[in-house]
Amino acid sequence: MRRPDIALLPSFQRAASRVVIRRTANYQQDLAAVIYETLRVFDLPVKGKTVLLKPNLVGFDPLCEMNTHPYVIAATRESFLRVGAAEVLIGDGPAMDRDTEAVLESVQLREFTGPLGRTFVDLNLDDVKRVVLSTHASRLRELYLPKTALGVDFLVSMPKLKTHHWAGVTLSLKNMFGIVPGSCYGWPKNVLHWAGIDNSILDINAASRPDFAIVDGIVGMEGNGPIQGSPKPCGVLVLGDDPVAVDATCCRVMGLRPEKVKYLNAAGTLLGHLDAAKIQQLGETVESVRTSFAVLDAFKELREPEGGVWN
Amino acid sequence: MTPAGENLHAANPLSDSVFAAKVCLPFICNAQNADGGWGYQPGFESRVEPTCWAILALRALQSSALSIEISAPGLQFLRNAQLANGSWSASAEVSSGCWVTALACWVLIADVQARATVAAGVKWICNDWPRDGSLWRRWRGRLFSHHKITKQNDSYRGWGWTPQTSSWVEPTSFALILLAISPIKSLPKAAARRRELARRMLYDRMCPGGGWNCGNPMVYGVAGEPLIAPTVWALLALRDEPDRPEFIMSLDWLEKNIGNARGAGSLALARIGMEVGGRKWPEAGPAIADSYGRNEFLQNIPVAAWASLASCKRHDWLTRGNQEFC
Repeated sequence: MRRPDIALLPSFQRAASRVVIRRTANYQQDLAAVIYETLRVFDLPVKGKTVLLKPNLVGFDPLCEMNTHPYVIAATRESFLRVGAAEVLIGDGPAMDRDTEAVLESVQLREFTGPLGRTFVDLNLDDVKRVVLSTHASRLRELYLPKTALGVDFLVSMPKLKTHHWAGVTLSLKNMFGIVPGSCYGWPKNVLHWAGIDNSILDINAASRPDFAIVDGIVGMEGNGPIQGSPKPCGVLVLGDDPVAVDATCCRVMGLRPEKVKYLNAAGTLLGHLDAAKIQQLGETVESVRTSFAVLDAFKELREPEGGVWN
Repeated sequence: MTPAGENLHAANPLSDSVFAAKVCLPFICNAQNADGGWGYQPGFESRVEPTCWAILALRALQSSALSIEISAPGLQFLRNAQLANGSWSASAEVSSGCWVTALACWVLIADVQARATVAAGVKWICNDWPRDGSLWRRWRGRLFSHHKITKQNDSYRGWGWTPQTSSWVEPTSFALILLAISPIKSLPKAAARRRELARRMLYDRMCPGGGWNCGNPMVYGVAGEPLIAPTVWALLALRDEPDRPEFIMSLDWLEKNIGNARGAGSLALARIGMEVGGRKWPEAGPAIADSYGRNEFLQNIPVAAWASLASCKRHDWLTRGNQEFC
């Protein structure tokens, strides 16, 4: 069982976060080797433990443009087993399509991970447990969350690097919308929209903060994401032990200012580090992999000003 | 799940009814909990939605005596699960009612012991107005119309997944199916108006080329992609107007896209939608069995129930035709 008490800590009480950027030109590379080597850098407490990988499986996607690529999911699963995890589950609750099997089949996940019966957990349909929200960022006072997500020892958020038409960007924090069960809240999980997307992201992550994040930025999505945007090759995997720091780094890679993303800015106070000075950057530098992502007009203030200074 | 999927179908292709009887129904029967209900998967806590689909599948396919024996505790579970305000919640853990209320009433409507129960549920449904189409929000929407990111008529209102949220295609379809099979005399006064508004809402939310997704036909000027499940539920809810161009266009979309369908749930629902729309899809049975062979329905009770229902020769389960059951 994960420790909820470490989810919320003022930034000054947190040790520096570590984020690794790995250059990975395409999905044909030996991703398992890249991820395994990176996990060893972090020396994660997963030996003998149950790990849940939470990819971003938004919907039916035969071209794998909006979902976390199954190669990345399978390579991560293999890597966590290699570093000693006893069991590595994969779970998500797609937001728009209640036929989760169709979503999995569309990206051919089974071909990469083997039979899904014992490995995949449909978080939309899992048994639920009431979680009282202590943060009150949104109007929600409680959420019913899947017992599997609450009960595993180690939770890994695995988003795709994408812009988002309502939140600006969707990365490891926004990806946690997927643990909110459709069986209780519907397809889409509309109650979160009414409660305010930005604030709901904060509440969900305070209730179930990922222990680690791995962002599939090999090919991301720009423009009208998370579903109708355009594929954007970026050639990176971004990994780290602080989801806020990982998301902030991803924004910088996308040519966006993380402090201008409303929910990320707020998350930087209690959920992790936003400030680049508090993030120990390993692997490639942000500058060396920076790829400018197009955003909708509504989010043009996220863009770095010409010749601007990075935070 | 028994019998094991992949080899079973490959070695000995099963007819639709045999597949339902030998694969789907044993899976459903074996997954019933001691409290009479079903969870979303075997061993999960009983919930309203999977219990409803399991009972509908059992009623449609089993011999009457065996059906009653297995379903009666399920009906009792549903009766017991009703909340004081007449609604049903998605889980025993949850204290407020939601979209599953329409499913519970649909199943219980044939149960003579549950008349008051159903009446209270239908009343709750008719009083459950989504918030998106309220006068205040419509006025605000008109004032800030340049900010509008979706293109839809908010004066048409259906039902949301949860109270006080927005109208969506699937919960609206479930409520419409229920209201269509309810005896007119038993309906609250508001029901006729709710039906009319909800039907208009469904037509308004149809995707530009036919078919439905969750209820966003156009966002930021880009047409939404239809999905099989919401398309089928909307078609079933609107099936008494089969000559309307929207109905025909959506059925055409379904027919054109079934070849790309993946997942036993979508395949089963597509088959139901096609048959109710009067079209044939002979490959449906083998496609569902093949899908089962790959993933064994991901152990999903509603999907097993839909696969059973899809194999029915007649879709009486959509009407009050199984009233004699109880």
